[in-house]
Amino acid sequence: MDLVTILDIAIGGLLMGGIYALLAMGLSLQYGVARVLNIAHGEFIMLGAFATYTLYTAFGINPLLTLAIVGPIIFIIGFLLHRTLFTRLRISSPSPGAFESRSLLATFGILFIIQNLALIGWGANLRAYSYLNFGVNLGGAIFTANRLVSLGFAIGIGLAFYIFLVRTRMGKAIRAAAQDPATASLMGVNINRVLAICFGLGAVMAGFAGTLLSMRVPINPAMGMNYTIIAIIVIVLGGLGSIPGSFIGGFILGIIGTVVTYIEPSLSLAAYYFIFMLLLLVRPKGILGK
Amino acid sequence: MTKKLLFGLITITLVALVAVPLCSSSCVPAPAPAKDSIVIGASRPLSGMNAMIGDAAFGPIMTMWEEEVNAAGGIYVADYGKKLPIEYLIYDDATDVGTMVRLTEKLILEDKVDILFSSCGTAFISAQAPIANKYGYVLLTAEGGATIMRDALYGLPYVFISLPFSDHYQLPVFADMLAAKGAKTAYIVSIADLHGVEYSGVAAIEFARVGIDLIASVSVPETQEDFSIIIKDAKAANPDVFCVFGYPPQVLPCTAESMALGFNPKCFIAGPGANFGFYQFTFIEALGPNCVDGVLCFAAANRATSPEFAELYDDLEAIVSPAMLDWWGHPYYAPLVQIWQEAIEETGTLDQDILRDYIATHHFDTILGDTYFEMSGEGGGGLLVKETHPGEIGQWQNGVVEIVGGGPWSNTVITADFIYPKPPWPTP
Amino acid sequence: MDITALTSRRFLVPGLITLTVLATLPLYGSLYTVILITTILMYIILAVSWVIFSGPTGYMSLASAAFFGVGIYTAAVLMPNTGQLLPLPVVVAIAGLISGLLAVLVGALTLRLRGIYFAIFTFGLVEIIKQVLLYWEFEVTHTRGRFVVLVDNDTVFYIMLGIFVALMLTVYFIRRSKFGLALQSIGENEEAAAHTGINVTMVKVITFGISAIFMGAAGAIMATRWTYIDPYIAFNPLFSFMPVLMAIFGGMGQLYGPVIGAAIFAYLQETLQTTFPYYYMLIFGIVLVVAILYLPNGIVGLIQKLIQRWRKGGSAEQNANT
Repeated sequence: MDLVTILDIAIGGLLMGGIYALLAMGLSLQYGVARVLNIAHGEFIMLGAFATYTLYTAFGINPLLTLAIVGPIIFIIGFLLHRTLFTRLRISSPSPGAFESRSLLATFGILFIIQNLALIGWGANLRAYSYLNFGVNLGGAIFTANRLVSLGFAIGIGLAFYIFLVRTRMGKAIRAAAQDPATASLMGVNINRVLAICFGLGAVMAGFAGTLLSMRVPINPAMGMNYTIIAIIVIVLGGLGSIPGSFIGGFILGIIGTVVTYIEPSLSLAAYYFIFMLLLLVRPKGILGK
Repeated sequence: MTKKLLFGLITITLVALVAVPLCSSSCVPAPAPAKDSIVIGASRPLSGMNAMIGDAAFGPIMTMWEEEVNAAGGIYVADYGKKLPIEYLIYDDATDVGTMVRLTEKLILEDKVDILFSSCGTAFISAQAPIANKYGYVLLTAEGGATIMRDALYGLPYVFISLPFSDHYQLPVFADMLAAKGAKTAYIVSIADLHGVEYSGVAAIEFARVGIDLIASVSVPETQEDFSIIIKDAKAANPDVFCVFGYPPQVLPCTAESMALGFNPKCFIAGPGANFGFYQFTFIEALGPNCVDGVLCFAAANRATSPEFAELYDDLEAIVSPAMLDWWGHPYYAPLVQIWQEAIEETGTLDQDILRDYIATHHFDTILGDTYFEMSGEGGGGLLVKETHPGEIGQWQNGVVEIVGGGPWSNTVITADFIYPKPPWPTP
Repeated sequence: MDITALTSRRFLVPGLITLTVLATLPLYGSLYTVILITTILMYIILAVSWVIFSGPTGYMSLASAAFFGVGIYTAAVLMPNTGQLLPLPVVVAIAGLISGLLAVLVGALTLRLRGIYFAIFTFGLVEIIKQVLLYWEFEVTHTRGRFVVLVDNDTVFYIMLGIFVALMLTVYFIRRSKFGLALQSIGENEEAAAHTGINVTMVKVITFGISAIFMGAAGAIMATRWTYIDPYIAFNPLFSFMPVLMAIFGGMGQLYGPVIGAAIFAYLQETLQTTFPYYYMLIFGIVLVVAILYLPNGIVGLIQKLIQRWRKGGSAEQNANT
């Protein structure tokens, strides 16, 4: 194995992992903090991807600039969804377990609703565009520019979010809520508002992932489920409720995926799950789980 | 005691709630209504993964036919002594085979539709064919075809397969074209499903026949998104011919990655995927209208094939996005409704057995030209004969798909010469 | 509350009536009614089997599609349209046993995982089996899908009904047995149960196996209805999620919860897909969200509330009379 191949696999893994990390951070906020296992997570990815596609092809807006439009819109959708639906469910559920199963069912409903609305709005057709699709040479290994840019944005968003968590009041409130919602609300944190913001931010990260994905992957209204599954796997791998864990878990899974694709592409998905399940058996609480 | 009674009552009520509406429509014999339309039933993927295929492929042909027939007052059916308009009864199978099978039986048993239209996707058609056949409903299949279905036709007299597939006669023609140009080596990427297994398997046989070495045949899971490693491997192997036997979600990223990595094999074939308008539209913004020139696809006809095809594509473009035009499928979906119309008008009936025999034994004059099915022995189903195909292989040239390969038979119309080697990808 | 008493006599009479209504269905029901009820029974079997294990133990299993799929694939291999190798009931039994064995194996390996970790592990199982089968069919047997023999709809219905009855009887006997008591005490407090000398792991693994047997059997009989099987069709993740949703929708507190949940869910889906094909998901989604908001304890909760109200109303009337 020469150096270029090693670079190919290593950087290729990071490129794949960047998107996974973003996806998983979003779900980690929703499941790890807000306790909603959001099966409709992938639908927000789809919404982000379609919004970017439409803004780019119909209005010529640079796909990367669409992040600034996609972000606030999806945040409002996510925030309102939590305020109207999940807050109510949380308050009326007798136990955390009951809330988890009820919100799971509710997110299935949301998945159906969003997908059907997308079908009505955009039609069932597959869509794709090409943006920044040229090779960039990194020490002999060549990668497409759009994937490198995606990675840059994923890391940037991850870092910005980390600073937000550590430095701001809201960030501290979110961390407190992730540790223990009951104590957090005793300490004067408006828990409902914090959880709704978490849910909204989680949806935004999914939307951002969708924007970045749409630059290189064909999109359609039914695309979401695969990404939801990936995101769930990553947060489990990274450790529930651990946002850095999800971030790192995303990169680990990306590298595993790239390595197995290199070795035997037809078994890559099987190997992928096998390694994941093995990891789970060895470390039942995830890599960074406590 | 009251408790028991109560629970008994509730259970009975619930059972009745479910059972009564179920059988009310069928338990009470309704008087036969006067026939005032031809009801055509179809279980189609309106949602889920296959919706993107169904919506663009046979869907618009159905819509166009309905408008055309009903504008003319309907189809004359001698049995009823009048023209009957057509009326669709479409259910959503949500891209689930189990649902599709059940809804097909609902259309047949409960709705008693006059005609059954095809479901969408090879696996779906494979599951629908035995069901339609069991109830004696003629099934002219649309989006799908495979060697396994042809083999199954021997026991399915009511099933007629229209879409060409791997060894019927796409890949034999393709291999001959390559051999004529002196191609020596090939690299195959295929999706790990029925379609990928079939095409990579048949290609291996056909390539061997004409002396092309298969360097590698790689299969990838359907969720594979990152093709850079595979394209890099292919580039290092430097094959004359590069084949992607997958669907658009594999074909488009493979193409994009090949462009970015400067992978320029002498021949690049990708399908299904490169045979749609969106293949070009994906890259047109960045690279201009000739962005995918030289790429080969499976294709039968284009606007230059005949004035009828020019009209078909113009009509289609009026109702669907040009991104959805399909030079492989649409030439074979359009004749399906023509065959139905002629069969009904000529036999003057909606009786499935009579219609079946008529379709099995007659030549039709459709957009393809002389069109007929070859029957698989006594009591078998039909396969649209290769002599009906106007072409097998297309190539993007100057921003349109030209038909560059076809068999040596009467309907074949070659619209341009096969360019080999393909020009390198344009640079932005 | 003693579950044993709840499940026994109260449901005997309505149970027998339901059974009689169902058993004679092909005599008076339309051909399609038989098909639809077969499908509904399939969903009920999946949902109830899921609840047998996941209800008392609290493990959320997403392996249903794996066990169901193993049953489907077993039938596809043993009953190709080119020549049935074994009689149908034998195939159904074999399929159930293979699924059950798989569940015991997986259970022994993974029951130390909890919560979402267990859920995702079991979901991974579905994908792994699918991918390995694909690889096997692709590289070794070169199979491109399998056609299964066509079986008469009434036969399929009666076998499905048979599986359903067997399942209900199993649940009934489990709940009346020592084994059921052990299972129940594990559900209430696992550590305490272990202290009283219950072999906790053994009980859980066996329950997991039993629930898988019925899923596998249902899969085998469904394969003959679908007539064409490939790994994607057999191992559809939908069948991992559906039983969970149906059980939550119906309410898991009572055994009849998942039964009613699955029946209503499946019937609603069918009605929407055929009546509003273009808006089926939208309406279905809204129904789900509204149901979850206003029926916190599922359909069972609604029924119990109605009973209470009715009983109150009844006693008030009695008071007025006297």
